[in-house]
Amino acid sequence: MSFGLALLVAGVSGFIALSYEILWYRVIAFASWGLPGAFGLLLAAYLFGLAMGSRASGVFCKDQTKAGDARQLRALAAFAFVANLVAWMVVPFFGWSAARWDWPPALAVVALAAALLGAILPLVSHFGIKPDDRAGQKLSYVYLANIIGSSAGSLVTGFVLFDLWPIATISAVIALVGLLLVLLLITLSDLKAVARLGAAVALALGALLVVRITPIAQGQIWERLLYKSNFTSDTHFAEIIENKSGVITVTDDGTVYGGGAYDGRFNTSIIHDRNGILRAYAIGAMHPAPKKILMVGLASGSWATVIAHLPGLSRLTIIEINPGYLKVIAGHPEVAGILHDPKVDIVIDDGRRWLHRHPNDKFDVIVMNTTWHWRSNATNLLSQEFMELARDHLLPGGLFYFNTTSSADVQKTAATVFPYAMRVYNFMAVSDSPLIFDKGRWERTLSDFEFDGQPAIDRSTEDGRKFFDDLLAYADGIHRAPTDDGLESRQSILARTQSATLVTDDNMIPEWRQVLRFQDPP
Amino acid sequence: MPGRVWIYTIFLLSGFAALLYQIVWQRALYAIYGINVESVTMVVTAFMLGLGLGSLAGGVVSKEPKRPVLLLFSLVELGIGLFGTVSLAVFHAVGRATLGMSALATFFVTFLLVLVPTLLMGSTLPLLVAHLVRSSGNVGKSVGTLYFVNTLGSAFASAASVLFILGRAGQAGSVRIAALLNVTVSLLAYVAHRRTMRPSEIAQTFARVHAAASEEATQQVQP
Repeated sequence: MSFGLALLVAGVSGFIALSYEILWYRVIAFASWGLPGAFGLLLAAYLFGLAMGSRASGVFCKDQTKAGDARQLRALAAFAFVANLVAWMVVPFFGWSAARWDWPPALAVVALAAALLGAILPLVSHFGIKPDDRAGQKLSYVYLANIIGSSAGSLVTGFVLFDLWPIATISAVIALVGLLLVLLLITLSDLKAVARLGAAVALALGALLVVRITPIAQGQIWERLLYKSNFTSDTHFAEIIENKSGVITVTDDGTVYGGGAYDGRFNTSIIHDRNGILRAYAIGAMHPAPKKILMVGLASGSWATVIAHLPGLSRLTIIEINPGYLKVIAGHPEVAGILHDPKVDIVIDDGRRWLHRHPNDKFDVIVMNTTWHWRSNATNLLSQEFMELARDHLLPGGLFYFNTTSSADVQKTAATVFPYAMRVYNFMAVSDSPLIFDKGRWERTLSDFEFDGQPAIDRSTEDGRKFFDDLLAYADGIHRAPTDDGLESRQSILARTQSATLVTDDNMIPEWRQVLRFQDPP
Repeated sequence: MPGRVWIYTIFLLSGFAALLYQIVWQRALYAIYGINVESVTMVVTAFMLGLGLGSLAGGVVSKEPKRPVLLLFSLVELGIGLFGTVSLAVFHAVGRATLGMSALATFFVTFLLVLVPTLLMGSTLPLLVAHLVRSSGNVGKSVGTLYFVNTLGSAFASAASVLFILGRAGQAGSVRIAALLNVTVSLLAYVAHRRTMRPSEIAQTFARVHAAASEEATQQVQP
């Protein structure tokens, strides 16, 4: 095997291995709701497999006369074929495993695939490098070629292919690259011409099979991963958006899942409140006159639609990390209006970075309907450091209002960082100025709120008036013993959360308090 | 000559420390530059390029047969540990200074930030391969076994970091653990280097004693 071919094989196998790793990362992210522990264990399984593969490859490297021998290409081709076949099967296995034992068993298949892929590099080194004083240097070239291939896999698959195709198509393309590599090795091997031709024909048929079978093997993969034991063959998402930023799925009843985690529902009605939209209306009770509002995270657009209709609002700036949500929103008339509302600016960016890069932009209210506090990187929006960053962007009397998803650590942190704080359901409302849930303002908000000239609550009926009065009484909750869905004072929060821990960028406590957790499927 | 198990243990710990750094540094950089796919790709690519260039550098250094590759490896690990101890402070200081930059400029800054440690990390495999090939003459076995122990160390680090380390030690504590491991590895590698050198040192000492004794004998027979 020539040294040049060794470099090529190392590069292509690196491309394939890292491309698959990215696919598996996306799949496990969806299956685990973005659990950081799942990512760590996936990486551990992948690396463990690579390690075992390189160890096992030592068996083929015992005979030193084979070093630099071109006759080994046949064995390498067969090995590369099996490695690619097993790697191709990992995503379907995730789908199959999800219904039975969730995602953990699939890690064993990840390790097996990585072992086979990982054995290629030492084999290539053995067959392509002569054992002389330049072995270390030549190995560095092979290693570099492998890293360049891996980087290309990260860039091409993660950055380009994810924006072009769904995961099944990308899987098929990676498998085809693997088959091309096998074909190259066979072509250059010492097989007789007839045998080479036969192998090439077999590989061509295999390629056709891959193209046909992959969409079937990965059919309804996102449904399988989300619904798990509740999955049936007639379970279908109404919408699936796959892009380089992630996977967004929408069910028939308008429930949105971002990266496999519940991300809200399409609803702006406070009467038919099935997404806790009352919390968005509540902004009107806590700030006397919000004119400029910043919203970090857009998701279904329901919250943004309600906030954009707050009486007196002049500017709503929304920072969303995944542009796929704009596509989703555009297809739902109830919320699509925010895409064309002149008061609304939507920026695609990371919320924390945007705040850092716009130090002079100040707001009356900063709102975040934050995702689950235990999801990967959630700390970046829930830490003491982030709260201080948010404080720097508040106008005098400004309100920072965000979802804690009921984390005692996050609630304690918010009530500690800010001198004025209140819990509204599972949200924290915090400020450097005195803060109350004003019943008069609440009444005006509920009275004045309207969509397209229609009041949010129709008080012309008995039911409407009763609903209005019940809702108005929510403001009195601050004077009663706190309930999970009611109001709670800062003093009560601090007393209740004494054993909780302040969240910092360093300790990332929300993400690591419980390493493994499994959500009940919808 | 130090035992191979000694070398393999050293490289396993080295792999453990390297992955611990990678996990923490990526987290720190994501908090600075964002977790959007562009930032994530930039950080991952910068890491890989650094490792690749480090591999090249290690290969060039290991080419000269007389170079003490174990001593170089020891120094490399010490360098990684020293960088590790100040890494988070450096990242945050540079991050604050460069937040307003364009995406391309941010990539170069990120690349430069991780270049020093990843360059050093990438150089470790060729250095140790060169050391083992000099004694065994088998490339595949040397690469396979070293790659095995180093990657196994990384696998352990990945599992341990999510199951135990990050939740208890946080980012700063995890980096301190990794730096401590680097210093330990450096010391162990230095011991291995000394043991490698000892046979030749003994031979040189014998030669010097022999030469001195011969000279003395010559002087004694002269009138």
